[in-house]
Amino acid sequence: MISEIKPIHPARYGMTIDVDRCNGCGACMVACAVENNVPPAHEGANDRKGLTWLRVYKVDNGEEYPNHRTAFVPVMCQQCNHDTPCVHVCPQQAVDLDPATGVVGQMAERCLGCRYCMAACPYHARYFNWWDPAWPKGMEKTLNPDVTPRMRGVVEKCNFCHGRWHAAKQLAAAAEKPAGEPVEYTPACVEACPTGAIRFGDLNNAASEPARAAKEAESFRLLEKLGTETKVYYRSKREWVREMAQAPRPDQIRKEIARG
Amino acid sequence: MKTTRREILFFAGGSAVGILMTPAPWRLITDTALWSENWPGIPRPARGAITARYTNCALCAAGCAVRARCVAEQPVSLAGVAGHPLSHGALCAYGLAGHHLPYHPARVTRGSEREAMAAVTAAMDRLAGNEHMAVLDLRPGRTASWTYRRAMAAVKNGVYVAAGGALANAAIDLSKARTVLSLGVPLLEDWGTPGNVMAARAGFHLIQADAVESRTAVMADQWLRIKAGSEEALGQGILQALGGQTPVAAAEATGIAEQQFLALAGELRQNGPALVLGGARSKSAAQLNDALGALGRTIVVRREAPVPDAWKKAAPAVDLASVEDGSIRVLLIDESAPGAYLPWSAVEPKLVRDNPVVVTLGWTRDGYGRHAQYLVPAGVYPEVTDDLPPAVDSVAATFRMSVPLVQAPEGVVKPEEWIARAAGLQVGDTLRERADAVHRAGRGTLFTYAGGKSVAAKDVKIDDFWKALQAGACWMDEVEPARRPAAVKVAAGATRQAADLTDDLPLVVVLTEAPSSPLLSKIYQESNLKLGPEQVAIHPLEARAAGVEDGARAVLETLAGRIDVEVRVDAGVPLGAVLVASRPAVLDVCGAGVGAKVVRA
Repeated sequence: MISEIKPIHPARYGMTIDVDRCNGCGACMVACAVENNVPPAHEGANDRKGLTWLRVYKVDNGEEYPNHRTAFVPVMCQQCNHDTPCVHVCPQQAVDLDPATGVVGQMAERCLGCRYCMAACPYHARYFNWWDPAWPKGMEKTLNPDVTPRMRGVVEKCNFCHGRWHAAKQLAAAAEKPAGEPVEYTPACVEACPTGAIRFGDLNNAASEPARAAKEAESFRLLEKLGTETKVYYRSKREWVREMAQAPRPDQIRKEIARG
Repeated sequence: MKTTRREILFFAGGSAVGILMTPAPWRLITDTALWSENWPGIPRPARGAITARYTNCALCAAGCAVRARCVAEQPVSLAGVAGHPLSHGALCAYGLAGHHLPYHPARVTRGSEREAMAAVTAAMDRLAGNEHMAVLDLRPGRTASWTYRRAMAAVKNGVYVAAGGALANAAIDLSKARTVLSLGVPLLEDWGTPGNVMAARAGFHLIQADAVESRTAVMADQWLRIKAGSEEALGQGILQALGGQTPVAAAEATGIAEQQFLALAGELRQNGPALVLGGARSKSAAQLNDALGALGRTIVVRREAPVPDAWKKAAPAVDLASVEDGSIRVLLIDESAPGAYLPWSAVEPKLVRDNPVVVTLGWTRDGYGRHAQYLVPAGVYPEVTDDLPPAVDSVAATFRMSVPLVQAPEGVVKPEEWIARAAGLQVGDTLRERADAVHRAGRGTLFTYAGGKSVAAKDVKIDDFWKALQAGACWMDEVEPARRPAAVKVAAGATRQAADLTDDLPLVVVLTEAPSSPLLSKIYQESNLKLGPEQVAIHPLEARAAGVEDGARAVLETLAGRIDVEVRVDAGVPLGAVLVASRPAVLDVCGAGVGAKVVRA
């Protein structure tokens, strides 16, 4: 996804997710799948082999009632800005950090399916197509024409709804706006969130909501210690949620409890 | 020069290694990847003009406003309508994938329509004096419901059975409530109109009584972890505390301390207006609302959208429990509009013993189609035209339609027309007649979705009013001064309680919503956000006792029957409870609060 136009004022698109507002309804996950032509689950798919560009984890503080608390944490590609692990390990240059948008792109056409990027991603936000994409008969008519379905054997992930960004660029061009200027658009998950927990904007624009929210004291990023400078910021007033953000996988603590 | 075998091998080996040093093999791999990306097995999205169309979601009673992005007239994605006075731009996960339902693998498009009509006609001819022909309407209050009532008035011994909740004649005004006590009601999980609930959420303190930490419990200001199936005991305990008594028995039944009952009663009384939400059979919720003065403040009378005068000679709406056992010879069920599912164990006793005729009109065999002799295929959202009664949290009457976004396939029928034909009732364009009656009333406003504007209905010409409704607009009645409903009707039938437990059925069933659309696999199969349609969840110790592991197949047994399930082990489920995703097959064998056990398959 290398931009052909040298950006005049490069954007740095980012998100802020208010964990305290997320009610775990899953609307963002479904809207994401609809927008990006992610097929329904193959019968053999499970939580490890499924395709969920955006996944809402249910996490808890591990304590017993009445101190027991639960939170929902939506996790998608965190769009690392520094030392992007997936970019470094890809032998095929199928992963790229777009200088015009700051979005980490995944080019399914170039992907070999080696899954090095999946191993390298500290956020478990990359997904492998274990099966041919298949929709129930007739449902392929509902595919979004702005996004190409991917084949079996390639890796895919969230790209902040690149199709919508592209459409916004076309609209800006039609309105004769400068080609290198950032455009405003809304990813599908942001549009679908009924509680307004997910906000999106240009982090380089100090007036944008994510840029302002990123500076709040209760703001945090997942695995911040890795120094990947991700562009997805979370926010929670609850300290245990902020601590959970440093675990390798948000639901890990819960799984350990479940195993007894 | 003589070439040796060894030199040939050296040359071949060197060439192989050398080729690897060139771009050739990598280029070959890239080209292979590019070629295979476009193989015929990958579906290609259709192309065409992109347009926006509007409708109202018919998947539940909320009727959220929908903006459909269409490519060549085919909807490819759905979103809410920002600024809508009721749904506030929100759409739930199910609604977002609503345009996939016509292609659901469980969809039925062929059925025995002619045979069903012949059987109904023959059965009507031999109807005895004490036998009934009945229509069971899962979503009463629609224009089609009026047609069913008229049809049942036109036939011999016709009965119109409405499956409804406790608040069928009243509405809940969440915006007026300051404290809400929910007795296990999933208030923040697609109850009422989700966008309206979220808009009002900041204005009230929410106390959620739940055995498991539901999504509502997570987002509540206070979660009361009660024993599974003890919602009614909690309500009765609070009633006692309001009366100054110490609720000893309720404390034992719920696991909540006596002092907490007193604190709850004090909070409900002091931080009013208060509202108590319970299930359709919750007697204690009705009593608490009465005691707390909620009737007329947070629970108000809502008048119905006007109907033509000629329709008013119609059969009354009755609930199933009031129909005599063994009296229905012909039962027609409209399940094309999803609503409250009445378990088959409640329906079956009402049928005559000898050869009753049961016809269901639906789009899938998963509901009553499993029990009926005839399944007549009906259209499904978004390929049908139907109106939507106001949701429980809509204070004003509304009239809005779910208008088709795609064409229904050949062979499906419109239930309203089919049932009217079976009853010999001549009907015209009933929706148009109702829209004209609404317009003639000369009150209320019309909210148009494309423009996002509200105009007084009386300022719109009658034809334009109809055109706007066909483009997905919503008519909203004027809000009347809050009036106290005569009484909140509690659905007949005993409330199932944990007391029904036996030693053999030690787990209490806690029901949760079940997703049902192909793409909702994202939230139950490809992640563990919700329980899937065939899943149950139990505590690790219960799983160990039953000898089942996470992901194992098992059988859920109740007094009413057994059903195959997949077990999920979850430490978040309390001991003594089993969390079950509700769907018709499950509701046929168990309801919330009944005793159950999980047995290894």
